[in-house]
Amino acid sequence: MEDDLSGFIVGVMVALLGLVGLVMASGAYDNAIFIFGLSLAGFAVLFDIGLIRRHFDRRSGGPHV
Amino acid sequence: MSNPAITYNEDVVRKFVIAGMFWAVVAFLVGVYIAAELAWPEANLGLSFVNFGRLRPVHTSAAIFAFGGSVLIGTSFYVVQRTCRARLFGGEALADFVFWGYQFFIVMAALSYVMGFSQGQEYAEPEWHLDVWLTVVWVAYAVIFVGTLLKREEPHIYVANWFYLAFILTIAVLHVVNNAAIPISMYSAKSYAVYAGVQSALIQWWYGHNAVGFFLTAGFLGMMYYFIPKQADRPIYSYRLSVVHFWSLVFMYIWAGPHHLHYTSLPDWTQTLGMVFSLMLWMPSWGGMINGLMTLSGAWDKLRTDPALRFSVTAVGFYGMSTFEGPVLSIRDVNALAHYTDWIVGHVHSGTLGWNAFISFGAIYYLVPVLWQRSGLYSTRLVAWHYWISTLGIVLYISSMWVAGIMQGLMWRAYDAFGFLQYSFAESVNAVHPYYVIRWMGGVMFFVGALIMVYNLVMTVRSSSTSRAAPDYPAGAIAAGE
Repeated sequence: MEDDLSGFIVGVMVALLGLVGLVMASGAYDNAIFIFGLSLAGFAVLFDIGLIRRHFDRRSGGPHV
Repeated sequence: MSNPAITYNEDVVRKFVIAGMFWAVVAFLVGVYIAAELAWPEANLGLSFVNFGRLRPVHTSAAIFAFGGSVLIGTSFYVVQRTCRARLFGGEALADFVFWGYQFFIVMAALSYVMGFSQGQEYAEPEWHLDVWLTVVWVAYAVIFVGTLLKREEPHIYVANWFYLAFILTIAVLHVVNNAAIPISMYSAKSYAVYAGVQSALIQWWYGHNAVGFFLTAGFLGMMYYFIPKQADRPIYSYRLSVVHFWSLVFMYIWAGPHHLHYTSLPDWTQTLGMVFSLMLWMPSWGGMINGLMTLSGAWDKLRTDPALRFSVTAVGFYGMSTFEGPVLSIRDVNALAHYTDWIVGHVHSGTLGWNAFISFGAIYYLVPVLWQRSGLYSTRLVAWHYWISTLGIVLYISSMWVAGIMQGLMWRAYDAFGFLQYSFAESVNAVHPYYVIRWMGGVMFFVGALIMVYNLVMTVRSSSTSRAAPDYPAGAIAAGE
Protein backbone atom coordinates (compact mmCIF):
# COMPACT_ATOMS: atom_id res chain seq x y z
CA MET A 1 0.00 0.00 0.00
CA GLU A 2 2.77 2.41 1.00
CA ASP A 3 4.73 1.47 -2.13
CA ASP A 4 1.72 2.00 -4.41
CA LEU A 5 0.92 5.41 -2.93
CA SER A 6 4.57 6.43 -2.98
CA GLY A 7 4.91 5.30 -6.59
CA PHE A 8 1.89 7.36 -7.61
CA ILE A 9 2.95 10.56 -5.84
CA VAL A 10 6.59 10.34 -6.93
CA GLY A 11 5.57 9.41 -10.47
CA VAL A 12 3.33 12.44 -10.83
CA MET A 13 5.95 14.74 -9.29
CA VAL A 14 8.67 13.49 -11.65
CA ALA A 15 6.34 13.81 -14.64
CA LEU A 16 5.70 17.46 -13.75
CA LEU A 17 9.41 18.08 -13.34
CA GLY A 18 9.95 16.51 -16.75
CA LEU A 19 7.44 18.96 -18.25
CA VAL A 20 9.31 21.84 -16.65
CA GLY A 21 12.44 20.45 -18.31
CA LEU A 22 10.75 20.49 -21.71
CA VAL A 23 9.61 24.09 -21.21
CA MET A 24 13.14 25.13 -20.20
CA ALA A 25 14.67 23.39 -23.22
CA SER A 26 12.13 24.96 -25.57
CA GLY A 27 13.20 28.52 -24.74
CA ALA A 28 16.83 27.92 -23.79
CA TYR A 29 19.29 30.76 -24.33
CA ASP A 30 22.34 28.56 -23.76
CA ASN A 31 23.53 24.97 -24.12
CA ALA A 32 23.52 24.34 -20.37
CA ILE A 33 19.77 24.89 -20.04
CA PHE A 34 19.00 23.18 -23.34
CA ILE A 35 20.87 20.02 -22.36
CA PHE A 36 19.56 20.11 -18.79
CA GLY A 37 15.95 20.58 -19.89
CA LEU A 38 16.01 17.76 -22.43
CA SER A 39 17.87 15.47 -20.04
CA LEU A 40 15.36 16.20 -17.30
CA ALA A 41 12.50 15.28 -19.62
CA GLY A 42 14.32 12.08 -20.59
CA PHE A 43 15.01 11.32 -16.94
CA ALA A 44 11.33 11.74 -16.12
CA VAL A 45 10.23 9.41 -18.92
CA LEU A 46 12.71 6.68 -17.98
CA PHE A 47 12.00 6.99 -14.26
CA ASP A 48 8.25 6.75 -14.72
CA ILE A 49 8.61 3.80 -17.09
CA GLY A 50 10.63 2.14 -14.33
CA LEU A 51 7.84 2.79 -11.83
CA ILE A 52 5.21 1.40 -14.20
CA ARG A 53 7.30 -1.68 -14.89
CA ARG A 54 7.78 -2.30 -11.18
CA HIS A 55 4.07 -1.90 -10.54
CA PHE A 56 3.18 -4.60 -13.08
CA ASP A 57 6.10 -6.81 -12.06
CA ARG A 58 4.77 -6.73 -8.52
CA ARG A 59 1.29 -7.64 -9.66
CA SER A 60 2.53 -10.55 -11.74
CA GLY A 61 5.06 -11.76 -9.17
CA GLY A 62 8.02 -10.57 -11.26
CA PRO A 63 11.60 -9.73 -10.28
CA HIS A 64 10.72 -6.68 -8.15
CA VAL A 65 8.48 -8.54 -5.76
CA MET B 1 7.68 -6.41 19.17
CA SER B 2 4.77 -5.22 17.08
CA ASN B 3 6.54 -5.97 13.80
CA PRO B 4 8.71 -9.08 14.09
CA ALA B 5 9.65 -9.50 10.39
CA ILE B 6 10.52 -6.16 8.87
CA THR B 7 11.91 -6.29 5.35
CA TYR B 8 14.50 -3.60 4.83
CA ASN B 9 14.94 -1.74 1.56
CA GLU B 10 18.46 -2.89 0.72
CA ASP B 11 18.05 -2.48 -3.03
CA VAL B 12 18.67 1.26 -2.81
CA VAL B 13 21.67 0.72 -0.51
CA ARG B 14 23.20 -1.64 -3.08
CA LYS B 15 22.68 0.94 -5.80
CA PHE B 16 24.41 3.64 -3.76
CA VAL B 17 27.34 1.31 -2.99
CA ILE B 18 27.81 0.56 -6.70
CA ALA B 19 27.52 4.26 -7.57
CA GLY B 20 29.97 5.16 -4.82
CA MET B 21 32.56 2.77 -6.21
CA PHE B 22 32.03 4.02 -9.74
CA TRP B 23 32.41 7.67 -8.76
CA ALA B 24 35.45 6.89 -6.60
CA VAL B 25 37.25 5.59 -9.67
CA VAL B 26 36.12 8.60 -11.74
CA ALA B 27 37.15 11.09 -9.03
CA PHE B 28 40.58 9.53 -8.52
CA LEU B 29 41.19 9.24 -12.28
CA VAL B 30 40.33 12.90 -12.89
CA GLY B 31 42.46 13.86 -9.87
CA VAL B 32 45.42 11.99 -11.30
CA TYR B 33 44.90 13.67 -14.67
CA ILE B 34 44.75 17.21 -13.32
CA ALA B 35 47.75 16.49 -11.07
CA ALA B 36 49.57 15.55 -14.29
CA GLU B 37 48.42 18.83 -15.85
CA LEU B 38 50.00 20.74 -12.97
CA ALA B 39 53.28 18.85 -13.35
CA TRP B 40 53.27 18.79 -17.14
CA PRO B 41 51.04 21.56 -18.54
CA GLU B 42 51.20 20.01 -22.03
CA ALA B 43 48.70 17.46 -20.70
CA ASN B 44 46.05 20.13 -21.30
CA LEU B 45 46.22 19.01 -24.96
CA GLY B 46 45.09 22.50 -25.91
CA LEU B 47 41.46 21.50 -25.32
CA SER B 48 39.27 23.90 -23.33
CA PHE B 49 37.09 21.19 -21.84
CA VAL B 50 39.99 19.30 -20.26
CA ASN B 51 41.89 22.29 -18.90
CA PHE B 52 42.61 22.46 -15.18
CA GLY B 53 40.02 25.16 -14.43
CA ARG B 54 37.16 23.02 -15.77
CA LEU B 55 38.32 19.61 -14.59
CA ARG B 56 39.20 20.69 -11.05
CA PRO B 57 35.54 21.09 -10.00
CA VAL B 58 34.81 17.80 -11.77
CA HIS B 59 37.42 16.17 -9.52
CA THR B 60 36.25 17.82 -6.28
CA SER B 61 32.56 17.29 -6.99
CA ALA B 62 33.13 13.68 -8.04
CA ALA B 63 35.17 13.01 -4.90
CA ILE B 64 33.02 14.86 -2.35
CA PHE B 65 29.49 14.80 -3.67
CA ALA B 66 29.49 11.81 -6.03
CA PHE B 67 31.73 9.31 -4.20
CA GLY B 68 31.33 10.69 -0.68
CA GLY B 69 27.66 11.61 -1.12
CA SER B 70 26.69 8.23 -2.58
CA VAL B 71 28.44 6.36 0.23
CA LEU B 72 26.93 8.67 2.85
CA ILE B 73 23.37 8.42 1.59
CA GLY B 74 23.67 4.67 1.01
CA THR B 75 25.12 3.94 4.46
CA SER B 76 22.64 6.29 6.14
CA PHE B 77 19.77 4.30 4.58
CA TYR B 78 21.39 1.09 5.79
CA VAL B 79 22.13 2.32 9.30
CA VAL B 80 18.81 4.06 9.94
CA GLN B 81 16.85 0.94 9.00
CA ARG B 82 18.97 -1.39 11.10
CA THR B 83 19.15 0.79 14.18
CA CYS B 84 15.49 1.85 14.07
CA ARG B 85 14.27 -1.60 13.01
CA ALA B 86 12.05 0.07 10.44
CA ARG B 87 11.83 -0.05 6.64
CA LEU B 88 12.63 3.20 4.84
CA PHE B 89 9.78 5.67 4.97
CA GLY B 90 8.15 6.68 1.69
CA GLY B 91 8.30 3.41 -0.20
CA GLU B 92 10.65 2.19 -2.91
CA ALA B 93 9.73 4.92 -5.38
CA LEU B 94 10.87 7.78 -3.17
CA ALA B 95 14.13 6.01 -2.31
CA ASP B 96 14.72 5.34 -6.00
CA PHE B 97 13.99 8.98 -6.78
CA VAL B 98 16.69 10.02 -4.31
CA PHE B 99 19.15 7.61 -5.91
CA TRP B 100 18.50 8.42 -9.56
CA GLY B 101 17.85 12.11 -8.89
CA TYR B 102 21.19 12.41 -7.08
CA GLN B 103 23.05 10.64 -9.89
CA PHE B 104 21.31 12.89 -12.43
CA PHE B 105 22.51 15.94 -10.50
CA ILE B 106 26.10 14.67 -10.50
CA VAL B 107 26.15 13.95 -14.23
CA MET B 108 24.54 17.28 -15.13
CA ALA B 109 26.90 19.20 -12.85
CA ALA B 110 29.99 17.51 -14.30
CA LEU B 111 28.74 18.16 -17.82
CA SER B 112 28.14 21.82 -17.06
CA TYR B 113 31.67 22.23 -15.62
CA VAL B 114 33.39 20.85 -18.72
CA MET B 115 31.15 23.08 -20.87
CA GLY B 116 32.45 26.06 -18.89
CA PHE B 117 29.42 26.88 -16.71
CA SER B 118 30.16 27.67 -13.07
CA GLN B 119 29.07 30.01 -10.31
CA GLY B 120 32.74 30.39 -9.44
CA GLN B 121 32.16 29.43 -5.79
CA GLU B 122 34.35 26.63 -4.49
CA TYR B 123 32.41 23.41 -3.79
CA ALA B 124 29.26 25.27 -4.90
CA GLU B 125 30.00 25.52 -8.62
CA PRO B 126 26.67 24.31 -10.08
CA GLU B 127 24.47 27.03 -11.53
CA TRP B 128 21.01 27.84 -10.16
CA HIS B 129 18.97 25.24 -12.08
CA LEU B 130 21.13 22.42 -10.73
CA ASP B 131 20.96 23.90 -7.23
CA VAL B 132 17.16 23.83 -7.41
CA TRP B 133 17.20 20.23 -8.61
CA LEU B 134 19.53 19.18 -5.80
CA THR B 135 17.25 20.90 -3.29
CA VAL B 136 14.29 18.81 -4.51
CA VAL B 137 16.31 15.60 -4.21
CA TRP B 138 17.71 16.57 -0.81
CA VAL B 139 14.26 17.32 0.60
CA ALA B 140 13.13 13.88 -0.55
CA TYR B 141 16.18 12.38 1.18
CA ALA B 142 15.40 14.26 4.41
CA VAL B 143 11.76 13.11 4.27
CA ILE B 144 12.85 9.47 4.01
CA PHE B 145 15.41 9.71 6.81
CA VAL B 146 13.28 11.68 9.26
CA GLY B 147 10.20 9.62 8.39
CA THR B 148 12.11 6.43 9.15
CA LEU B 149 13.27 7.83 12.48
CA LEU B 150 9.69 8.76 13.34
CA LYS B 151 8.30 5.30 12.64
CA ARG B 152 11.15 3.45 14.41
CA GLU B 153 10.49 0.35 16.49
CA GLU B 154 13.45 1.08 18.76
CA PRO B 155 12.78 3.67 21.47
CA HIS B 156 16.34 5.04 21.35
CA ILE B 157 17.83 6.92 18.41
CA TYR B 158 21.34 5.53 18.02
CA VAL B 159 24.08 8.19 17.93
CA ALA B 160 25.11 7.42 14.34
CA ASN B 161 21.68 8.66 13.26
CA TRP B 162 22.21 11.94 15.11
CA PHE B 163 25.35 12.56 13.06
CA TYR B 164 23.57 11.60 9.82
CA LEU B 165 20.66 13.89 10.72
CA ALA B 166 23.00 16.81 11.43
CA PHE B 167 24.61 16.17 8.04
CA ILE B 168 21.27 16.14 6.22
CA LEU B 169 19.70 19.18 7.89
CA THR B 170 22.79 21.39 7.96
CA ILE B 171 23.74 20.68 4.35
CA ALA B 172 20.18 21.63 3.35
CA VAL B 173 20.46 25.01 5.10
CA LEU B 174 23.99 25.66 3.83
CA HIS B 175 23.09 24.78 0.26
CA VAL B 176 19.97 26.95 0.13
CA VAL B 177 21.51 30.00 1.80
CA ASN B 178 24.84 29.96 -0.04
CA ASN B 179 23.24 29.41 -3.44
CA ALA B 180 20.62 32.14 -3.10
CA ALA B 181 20.81 33.77 -6.52
CA ILE B 182 18.66 35.52 -9.08
CA PRO B 183 18.76 33.97 -12.56
CA ILE B 184 18.74 36.42 -15.47
CA SER B 185 16.03 34.22 -17.00
CA MET B 186 14.40 30.86 -16.49
CA TYR B 187 15.94 29.96 -19.85
CA SER B 188 19.53 30.89 -18.97
CA ALA B 189 22.05 29.20 -16.70
CA LYS B 190 23.52 32.55 -15.71
CA SER B 191 22.55 33.97 -12.33
CA TYR B 192 23.76 36.57 -9.87
CA ALA B 193 24.28 35.88 -6.17
CA VAL B 194 22.11 37.92 -3.82
CA TYR B 195 25.20 38.70 -1.72
CA ALA B 196 28.01 41.02 -2.71
CA GLY B 197 31.52 41.89 -1.59
CA VAL B 198 32.74 40.65 1.75
CA GLN B 199 29.28 39.38 2.73
CA SER B 200 29.42 37.09 -0.30
CA ALA B 201 32.86 35.86 0.77
CA LEU B 202 31.72 35.24 4.33
CA ILE B 203 28.59 33.33 3.25
CA GLN B 204 30.69 31.29 0.82
CA TRP B 205 33.18 30.24 3.51
CA TRP B 206 30.49 29.72 6.11
CA TYR B 207 29.16 27.27 3.53
CA GLY B 208 32.58 25.97 2.42
CA HIS B 209 33.92 25.17 5.86
CA ASN B 210 30.67 23.63 7.02
CA ALA B 211 30.59 21.49 3.89
CA VAL B 212 33.79 20.11 5.44
CA GLY B 213 32.24 20.08 8.90
CA PHE B 214 28.89 18.53 8.14
CA PHE B 215 29.35 16.69 4.85
CA LEU B 216 32.90 15.40 5.27
CA THR B 217 32.90 15.15 9.07
CA ALA B 218 29.47 14.70 10.68
CA GLY B 219 28.16 12.30 8.03
CA PHE B 220 31.31 10.18 8.04
CA LEU B 221 31.31 10.14 11.85
CA GLY B 222 27.88 8.55 11.56
CA MET B 223 29.58 5.82 9.53
CA MET B 224 32.36 5.53 12.11
CA TYR B 225 29.93 5.12 15.01
CA TYR B 226 28.09 2.28 13.28
CA PHE B 227 30.66 0.38 11.26
CA ILE B 228 33.68 0.32 13.59
CA PRO B 229 31.72 -1.30 16.45
CA LYS B 230 30.26 -3.72 13.90
CA GLN B 231 33.63 -4.63 12.41
CA ALA B 232 35.34 -4.86 15.80
CA ASP B 233 32.35 -6.66 17.33
CA ARG B 234 32.62 -4.32 20.31
CA PRO B 235 30.31 -1.60 21.64
CA ILE B 236 31.37 2.03 21.40
CA TYR B 237 34.04 2.79 24.02
CA SER B 238 31.91 5.53 25.60
CA TYR B 239 28.38 6.28 24.48
CA ARG B 240 28.35 9.36 26.74
CA LEU B 241 31.48 10.66 25.02
CA SER B 242 29.81 10.14 21.62
CA VAL B 243 26.91 12.36 22.71
CA VAL B 244 29.31 15.03 24.02
CA HIS B 245 31.23 14.66 20.74
CA PHE B 246 28.04 15.28 18.75
CA TRP B 247 26.78 18.39 20.55
CA SER B 248 30.16 20.07 20.91
CA LEU B 249 31.05 19.37 17.26
CA VAL B 250 27.83 20.74 15.80
CA PHE B 251 27.91 23.78 18.07
CA MET B 252 31.50 24.76 17.31
CA TYR B 253 31.91 23.83 13.63
CA ILE B 254 29.31 26.27 12.39
CA TRP B 255 31.41 29.26 13.60
CA ALA B 256 34.77 28.28 12.13
CA GLY B 257 34.30 29.43 8.50
CA PRO B 258 35.88 32.90 8.80
CA HIS B 259 39.35 31.36 9.24
CA HIS B 260 39.34 31.01 5.44
CA LEU B 261 39.33 34.81 5.18
CA HIS B 262 42.32 35.86 7.30
CA TYR B 263 43.98 39.08 6.12
CA THR B 264 40.99 40.06 3.97
CA SER B 265 38.51 42.94 4.29
CA LEU B 266 36.43 40.82 6.65
CA PRO B 267 36.31 42.57 10.05
CA ASP B 268 39.20 41.58 12.28
CA TRP B 269 37.00 40.36 15.13
CA THR B 270 35.21 37.98 12.75
CA GLN B 271 38.50 36.47 11.64
CA THR B 272 39.50 36.03 15.27
CA LEU B 273 36.14 34.43 16.05
CA GLY B 274 36.69 31.87 13.29
CA MET B 275 40.20 31.15 14.53
CA VAL B 276 39.15 30.69 18.16
CA PHE B 277 36.28 28.35 17.33
CA SER B 278 38.62 26.37 15.07
CA LEU B 279 41.03 25.93 17.96
CA MET B 280 38.23 24.88 20.28
CA LEU B 281 37.31 22.19 17.74
CA TRP B 282 40.38 20.27 18.84
CA MET B 283 38.45 19.02 21.86
CA PRO B 284 35.43 17.39 20.20
CA SER B 285 37.52 16.15 17.29
CA TRP B 286 40.02 14.39 19.49
CA GLY B 287 37.31 13.20 21.83
CA GLY B 288 35.67 11.53 18.86
CA MET B 289 38.94 10.10 17.62
CA ILE B 290 39.72 8.63 21.04
CA ASN B 291 36.22 7.17 21.20
CA GLY B 292 36.65 5.53 17.80
CA LEU B 293 40.09 4.13 18.55
CA MET B 294 39.29 2.95 22.08
CA THR B 295 36.36 0.97 20.67
CA LEU B 296 39.10 -1.42 19.58
CA SER B 297 39.95 -2.12 23.25
CA GLY B 298 40.22 -5.86 23.59
CA ALA B 299 40.03 -6.33 19.85
CA TRP B 300 43.28 -4.86 18.59
CA ASP B 301 44.35 -8.30 17.38
CA LYS B 302 41.66 -8.05 14.68
CA LEU B 303 43.79 -5.48 12.90
CA ARG B 304 46.21 -8.26 12.01
CA THR B 305 43.57 -10.44 10.42
CA ASP B 306 40.99 -7.96 9.13
CA PRO B 307 42.47 -5.43 6.70
CA ALA B 308 39.02 -3.89 6.17
CA LEU B 309 38.95 -2.94 9.85
CA ARG B 310 42.48 -1.60 9.37
CA PHE B 311 41.04 0.85 6.84
CA SER B 312 38.43 2.09 9.34
CA VAL B 313 40.88 2.46 12.21
CA THR B 314 43.52 4.18 10.08
CA ALA B 315 40.77 6.53 8.91
CA VAL B 316 40.13 7.55 12.52
CA GLY B 317 43.87 8.18 12.90
CA PHE B 318 43.82 10.42 9.85
CA TYR B 319 40.72 12.14 11.25
CA GLY B 320 42.72 12.96 14.36
CA MET B 321 45.72 14.17 12.37
CA SER B 322 43.81 16.37 9.94
CA THR B 323 41.63 17.84 12.69
CA PHE B 324 44.81 18.71 14.55
CA GLU B 325 46.39 20.29 11.49
CA GLY B 326 43.26 22.29 10.56
CA PRO B 327 43.15 24.38 13.75
CA VAL B 328 46.93 24.92 13.50
CA LEU B 329 46.42 26.30 9.98
CA SER B 330 43.61 28.55 11.25
CA ILE B 331 46.01 30.42 13.57
CA ARG B 332 46.55 33.77 11.89
CA ASP B 333 50.34 33.69 11.90
CA VAL B 334 50.49 30.13 10.58
CA ASN B 335 47.88 31.03 7.99
CA ALA B 336 50.07 33.91 6.79
CA LEU B 337 52.62 31.32 5.71
CA ALA B 338 50.31 28.53 4.58
CA HIS B 339 47.38 30.22 2.84
CA TYR B 340 47.28 29.92 -0.98
CA THR B 341 50.10 27.35 -0.85
CA ASP B 342 50.07 23.61 -1.49
CA TRP B 343 50.21 22.95 2.25
CA ILE B 344 46.44 23.53 2.20
CA VAL B 345 46.07 21.04 -0.66
CA GLY B 346 48.03 18.49 1.35
CA HIS B 347 45.90 19.16 4.45
CA VAL B 348 42.67 18.70 2.51
CA HIS B 349 43.88 15.44 1.02
CA SER B 350 45.02 14.00 4.34
CA GLY B 351 41.40 14.50 5.38
CA THR B 352 39.65 13.37 2.23
CA LEU B 353 41.90 10.44 1.31
CA GLY B 354 42.93 9.35 4.78
CA TRP B 355 39.69 9.98 6.64
CA ASN B 356 36.76 10.10 4.20
CA ALA B 357 37.93 7.59 1.61
CA PHE B 358 39.41 5.14 4.13
CA ILE B 359 36.34 5.09 6.39
CA SER B 360 34.24 4.59 3.24
CA PHE B 361 36.44 1.72 2.05
CA GLY B 362 36.15 0.08 5.48
CA ALA B 363 32.36 0.41 5.44
CA ILE B 364 32.07 -0.87 1.88
CA TYR B 365 34.26 -3.89 2.55
CA TYR B 366 31.91 -4.66 5.44
CA LEU B 367 28.72 -3.96 3.49
CA VAL B 368 29.24 -5.79 0.19
CA PRO B 369 29.25 -9.35 1.57
CA VAL B 370 26.24 -8.47 3.76
CA LEU B 371 24.21 -6.79 1.02
CA TRP B 372 24.91 -9.43 -1.61
CA GLN B 373 24.62 -12.23 0.94
CA ARG B 374 28.09 -13.65 0.43
CA SER B 375 30.12 -15.61 2.93
CA GLY B 376 32.91 -13.03 2.96
CA LEU B 377 35.22 -11.01 0.76
CA TYR B 378 36.80 -12.64 -2.30
CA SER B 379 40.33 -11.90 -1.10
CA THR B 380 41.56 -10.35 2.14
CA ARG B 381 45.06 -10.36 0.62
CA LEU B 382 43.82 -7.93 -2.05
CA VAL B 383 42.31 -5.76 0.69
CA ALA B 384 45.74 -5.68 2.34
CA TRP B 385 47.35 -4.71 -0.99
CA HIS B 386 44.75 -1.98 -1.38
CA TYR B 387 45.46 -0.76 2.14
CA TRP B 388 49.23 -0.53 1.81
CA ILE B 389 49.34 0.90 -1.70
CA SER B 390 46.78 3.56 -0.76
CA THR B 391 48.49 4.42 2.51
CA LEU B 392 51.83 4.81 0.74
CA GLY B 393 50.10 6.96 -1.89
CA ILE B 394 48.69 9.26 0.80
CA VAL B 395 52.09 9.56 2.48
CA LEU B 396 53.70 10.56 -0.82
CA TYR B 397 50.88 13.01 -1.50
CA ILE B 398 50.76 14.85 1.79
CA SER B 399 54.49 14.91 2.52
CA SER B 400 55.25 16.33 -0.94
CA MET B 401 52.58 18.99 -0.49
CA TRP B 402 53.90 19.92 2.96
CA VAL B 403 57.37 20.51 1.53
CA ALA B 404 56.06 22.30 -1.57
CA GLY B 405 53.65 24.46 0.42
CA ILE B 406 56.09 25.58 3.10
CA MET B 407 58.69 26.28 0.41
CA GLN B 408 56.16 28.36 -1.56
CA GLY B 409 55.18 30.32 1.54
CA LEU B 410 58.79 31.04 2.43
CA MET B 411 59.72 32.03 -1.14
CA TRP B 412 56.75 34.39 -1.47
CA ARG B 413 57.62 36.26 1.72
CA ALA B 414 61.41 36.43 1.19
CA TYR B 415 62.92 39.91 0.77
CA ASP B 416 66.42 40.82 -0.34
CA ALA B 417 68.70 43.39 1.28
CA PHE B 418 67.05 46.19 -0.69
CA GLY B 419 63.52 45.32 0.37
CA PHE B 420 62.52 43.78 -2.95
CA LEU B 421 60.85 40.38 -3.28
CA GLN B 422 63.67 37.85 -3.59
CA TYR B 423 61.83 35.44 -5.89
CA SER B 424 59.43 35.90 -8.77
CA PHE B 425 56.23 33.83 -8.71
CA ALA B 426 57.50 31.81 -11.69
CA GLU B 427 60.57 30.80 -9.69
CA SER B 428 58.34 29.38 -6.95
CA VAL B 429 56.38 27.44 -9.59
CA ASN B 430 59.61 26.02 -10.96
CA ALA B 431 60.81 25.08 -7.47
CA VAL B 432 57.77 22.94 -6.64
CA HIS B 433 57.84 20.93 -9.89
CA PRO B 434 59.53 17.83 -8.39
CA TYR B 435 56.94 17.76 -5.59
CA TYR B 436 54.11 17.97 -8.12
CA VAL B 437 55.54 14.87 -9.78
CA ILE B 438 55.71 13.08 -6.40
CA ARG B 439 52.12 14.15 -5.67
CA TRP B 440 51.04 12.72 -9.03
CA MET B 441 52.75 9.41 -8.18
CA GLY B 442 50.91 9.32 -4.85
CA GLY B 443 47.63 9.90 -6.67
CA VAL B 444 48.37 7.12 -9.14
CA MET B 445 48.99 4.72 -6.27
CA PHE B 446 45.72 5.68 -4.60
CA PHE B 447 43.91 5.20 -7.92
CA VAL B 448 45.48 1.77 -8.46
CA GLY B 449 44.39 0.81 -4.94
CA ALA B 450 40.81 1.73 -5.81
CA LEU B 451 40.96 -0.44 -8.95
CA ILE B 452 42.13 -3.36 -6.82
CA MET B 453 39.16 -2.78 -4.51
CA VAL B 454 36.67 -2.67 -7.37
CA TYR B 455 38.05 -5.95 -8.77
CA ASN B 456 37.89 -7.55 -5.32
CA LEU B 457 34.31 -6.41 -4.75
CA VAL B 458 33.13 -7.52 -8.19
CA MET B 459 34.67 -10.92 -7.56
CA THR B 460 33.10 -11.01 -4.10
CA VAL B 461 29.68 -10.71 -5.71
CA ARG B 462 30.37 -13.00 -8.66
CA SER B 463 32.79 -15.66 -7.51
CA SER B 464 31.47 -19.07 -6.51
CA SER B 465 34.08 -19.15 -3.73
CA THR B 466 32.10 -16.58 -1.73
CA SER B 467 28.65 -18.06 -2.21
CA ARG B 468 26.73 -19.30 0.79
CA ALA B 469 23.58 -21.31 1.33
CA ALA B 470 20.48 -19.66 -0.09
CA PRO B 471 18.60 -17.64 2.52
CA ASP B 472 15.15 -18.77 3.59
CA TYR B 473 13.59 -15.37 2.96
CA PRO B 474 12.76 -13.65 -0.32
CA ALA B 475 15.54 -12.08 -2.38
CA GLY B 476 16.25 -8.52 -1.28
CA ALA B 477 14.62 -9.02 2.07
CA ILE B 478 16.45 -9.33 5.36
CA ALA B 479 14.82 -10.36 8.56
CA ALA B 480 14.81 -7.80 11.34
CA GLY B 481 17.51 -7.94 13.97
CA GLU B 482 20.17 -8.92 11.40
